[in-house]
Amino acid sequence: MAILEATRLAKRFGPVTAVHDVSITVAEGEVAALLGPNGAGKSTTLHMLLGLITPDAGTITLFGMELARHRVEALSRVNFAASYVDLPGPLLVQEVIDVFARFYAVRRPKERVAEMIELLELGPLRRRRLMDLSSGQRTRVQLAKALVNAPRLLVLDEPTANLDPYAGDRIRGLLSRVARESGAAMLITSHNMREVERMCDRVHFMAEGRIVAAGSAAELAGHYGAEDLEEVFLKVARG
Amino acid sequence: MTSLPLPHDMTLAPLSFAARRSRVLGVVRRDFAALRRSPIRIFEILFWPTVELLLWGFVTLFLRTQRVPFVVAFLLGAVLLWQVLQKASNEISIAFLEDIWSRNLLNVQVSPLSSTEYLVGLVLFSLGKVVFAVAVMAGLAYALYGFGVTSLGVGLVPFMGVLLLLGWSLGLVGIAAVLRFGENAQVIAWSLVFVVQPLAGIFYPVSVLPAPLQAVSWFLPASHVFEGMRTVMAGGAVPWDRLAWAGALDVVYLGLTLGLYAWALGYARRHGKLSRFGD
Repeated sequence: MAILEATRLAKRFGPVTAVHDVSITVAEGEVAALLGPNGAGKSTTLHMLLGLITPDAGTITLFGMELARHRVEALSRVNFAASYVDLPGPLLVQEVIDVFARFYAVRRPKERVAEMIELLELGPLRRRRLMDLSSGQRTRVQLAKALVNAPRLLVLDEPTANLDPYAGDRIRGLLSRVARESGAAMLITSHNMREVERMCDRVHFMAEGRIVAAGSAAELAGHYGAEDLEEVFLKVARG
Repeated sequence: MTSLPLPHDMTLAPLSFAARRSRVLGVVRRDFAALRRSPIRIFEILFWPTVELLLWGFVTLFLRTQRVPFVVAFLLGAVLLWQVLQKASNEISIAFLEDIWSRNLLNVQVSPLSSTEYLVGLVLFSLGKVVFAVAVMAGLAYALYGFGVTSLGVGLVPFMGVLLLLGWSLGLVGIAAVLRFGENAQVIAWSLVFVVQPLAGIFYPVSVLPAPLQAVSWFLPASHVFEGMRTVMAGGAVPWDRLAWAGALDVVYLGLTLGLYAWALGYARRHGKLSRFGD
């Protein structure tokens, strides 16, 4: 069953066509990737799916509800993290997670905050301010925030972009586990092709605002006569 | 690592009253936590009002030696009520701007928090800060100059109510300007309330203004409050007719500014501006 269905999305900013005729479906429990070179329209597409940008054309349906009409209900079951978004720096780690637990109307926020702190191994950091944490630690808090409502769709825009290989590997392991155990669907953008190969069931390639290829990593490699997804990426980027 | 908690019944029904209350109080809790962790912000809440109170207090002491009648009460009452207007306007704008400065705006905008809930949360927290700042200033005014804010009588509450509503409307215009024009429009959010200051007859009667500006002034709810304050302090009755007119103007302006906010948010979404804040 599709929990996200975007049909024929289009977006122009002045003379620039950022997204053209993009359709994406994400099924329950599926981990999908949206890949492409810089400026391909990935973030614009994700932001339309999250209601941050209003599409010029096309429809977005989340959990069978049209996003434009049922924003609150739809977004209650979604969450988001991105490398370019931060959380309020002066707040303590436990305060940040608590605030977002309340934004998502979590039933027992205190218990849920404790669960997230344990899950993300944030215990020793719980009473530290966000602004005093390292990039890796902040990413873990971002994920705690992103998981606090047990979302059925998790949207992640380059979640490991600012992390060293060890921290990135920890986050990938955690996300794979979340996908496996909770059944949450994920839609991820990344420039790390090994990360995508490891985590994702399906890949959508974008270039110049369009989806130019879609399939599993193995299917795409076969289609393009490539050894791996990185080679596919280079072939797509070079047109 | 612990086992992953199951999502059964994790969240309240999104449109229920309990869920809405949770989201509004989430905004209040966040702003309170941010304030509590920022001693400089707490200091700042009290610093400028106190400076203004001291400045105008000493001016009034000087004028009293020159035997100018009523001036002490007029000016100190004006300073206190002006703070209500200024703080109501600035606090709501600052709370929004802090989401931009901390690059947290996207997290807020992709959450199920509705615009109404977000604004109600900002308004509630700004109300708390205004009450706190005015209470401290009123105590100082009494301790230093023997001025009791209760001398404004039963009119005090409606006077403050009218100014709060106007301040929130101005704050909304500031937020709308930032949404429409980007972060460079922050200056509008900070300074809009000072456009009102010379026109609202805060420290002098509206009759001092040139005739065309007087006509403008009567369309400012604040003008009726400060004229009413002077009437009460001069021994007159609370001018309820003026207050009713001011309240009606407030309702109209609040409706217009809410519409402006909704339009500016729609504009920001259509033009992808929300995504670019904090870049």
